[in-house]
Amino acid sequence: MFEPRTLRRHIVDLASHGRSAHLGCALSLVEICAALYGGVMRYDRQDPAAPDRDLLVLSKGHGVMALYACFCDLGWITDGDVRAYLGNGTRLRGLCESDVPGCEVSSGSLGHGLPVAVGMAYGLARLQSDRRVWCIVGDGEMNEGSMWEAMLFAAHHSLDKLTVIVDANGFQAMGRTDEVLSTEPLVAKFEAFGFAAVECDGHDLPALTAALTPHDGPRHAPRAVIARTVKGHGLSFAADDNRWHYTRLDDATRAAALEELR
Amino acid sequence: MRHAVSPLLLEAAESDERFLVLSGDHGYELFDALRTHHPDRFVNVGVAEQSMIGIAAGLCQTGFRPCVYGLASFVPIRVLEQVKMDLCFGSLPVVILGDGAGLVYSVLGASHQCGEDVACLRPLPHIAIYSPCDAHELRACWIEARGNSTPSYLRIGKSHPDDIHPGAVQGTSPKIVHEATPGSSTAVIVATGAMVRSGLSFARAHGLRCISVPRLKPAPLDLIPLLGDAERVAVIEEHASSGGLWSLVLEMLQAAGTNRSLRVEAFGLRTMFTATAGDHQHALGEHDLGDEQLARRLAAWLGATGAPSP
Repeated sequence: MFEPRTLRRHIVDLASHGRSAHLGCALSLVEICAALYGGVMRYDRQDPAAPDRDLLVLSKGHGVMALYACFCDLGWITDGDVRAYLGNGTRLRGLCESDVPGCEVSSGSLGHGLPVAVGMAYGLARLQSDRRVWCIVGDGEMNEGSMWEAMLFAAHHSLDKLTVIVDANGFQAMGRTDEVLSTEPLVAKFEAFGFAAVECDGHDLPALTAALTPHDGPRHAPRAVIARTVKGHGLSFAADDNRWHYTRLDDATRAAALEELR
Repeated sequence: MRHAVSPLLLEAAESDERFLVLSGDHGYELFDALRTHHPDRFVNVGVAEQSMIGIAAGLCQTGFRPCVYGLASFVPIRVLEQVKMDLCFGSLPVVILGDGAGLVYSVLGASHQCGEDVACLRPLPHIAIYSPCDAHELRACWIEARGNSTPSYLRIGKSHPDDIHPGAVQGTSPKIVHEATPGSSTAVIVATGAMVRSGLSFARAHGLRCISVPRLKPAPLDLIPLLGDAERVAVIEEHASSGGLWSLVLEMLQAAGTNRSLRVEAFGLRTMFTATAGDHQHALGEHDLGDEQLARRLAAWLGATGAPSP
């Protein structure tokens, strides 16, 4: 379960059946999702709404196909859902929306998920709950001012059950993040905002799992894991090529993708 | 009316352990009682309105029932998209208090004046909108808003010292605050929020029915029968007529299929920014809504109706 190659095949299936954009955005966060669903995050595989679950907020809603891929493995969405993806009248949208079981927050509009995740972490802290909140954001999304507002609040209130995971694939919609509006140095910025921040290879599953796994003992700061990723990772023709933010798979590229992921 | 907010917050804190107030660094003495008796229930999130709405949504999803406070210019206007996606899309029961609505902050200029909040919120799904005229309506709106399972917006405008209603009111349906002198029922005044005071003053002087509309959404459909046989209706609001109560009355009449002749006149804020500093009456004056101007305009409107004066 949650084998990255399998998750990428689900993503290719979704993207091709739905003729969906945002393939590259989803492929970069596959290992992040695999680490979370594969053991780091506490949840009930039978019940996406289990009351004692950790909360996962996908703030960069454009990567939602990576979540759906995990839901495929979990049986939360079916092969039929995948074949009908984005068809008229179907329930799965092309961005993260909270009426889909497993999607905690609607986050198609960037800069929304982290503030809500911070509110969740603050609520849980007030309740002295042991539940954790995980929030996946994009490095491009860090352009949004609301993200930095939320970070101030998280650090001010010592929300140590909150982990922000930056899917730092170096791109945003229209170019390299460094060229459009640089958000680096992310580790230093998170640290300056009061986070305990680490950096790791976002496609090295063991390294990522180690970075994400909370250490024992008390902490008094929210955490940030800057996962260095490659947009479109796993497909040689899409890797580090921002055209796959918006390009749709056709028969030839779908075949090439599935061959590469065999 | 504003003085009545503080006890409501205190009561809610004492009766509901899920209740929290979030403020974007505004409110001052409004929260003194709450902060004195329940300091843990007041969260100043800082000058960060956007994230405040998201934080309220997250609190809601972990079992809290937050109330979010801001000046109407910022909450809901600055954070309209957060209200739409973080609160309305998930139908979360957050109560938004938008203070200083209309031209209350006359001396501070356009940034702090707000004549568009109702128009901006009305098209959003799931949110209820209230515009009380005095402390009694405020309490009724607050009780209803706190009971809603969806988001609510409570518009707090200019606070006048005297209440409109003699005592507690039940519910948020339109309320007749002055009854017409028999024989003078061809004209009716409909008003909301702080402008009910002006409408009532004119209605008393001319023997007209005056109706206060504290709930603007869901649409107060029971207003239509209260218009009776009126041939003319004046709609008074400290908000842009377009998108506000005036639009709402026209929409409800259209939806009700009323086919008799009925003219609905707009007495609301103009589509303009105030040009100069001054007190509240001065700012209203720029929109031809100051007490004297409004009385003159209403007299002209009434004269045109041919309604008898008492």
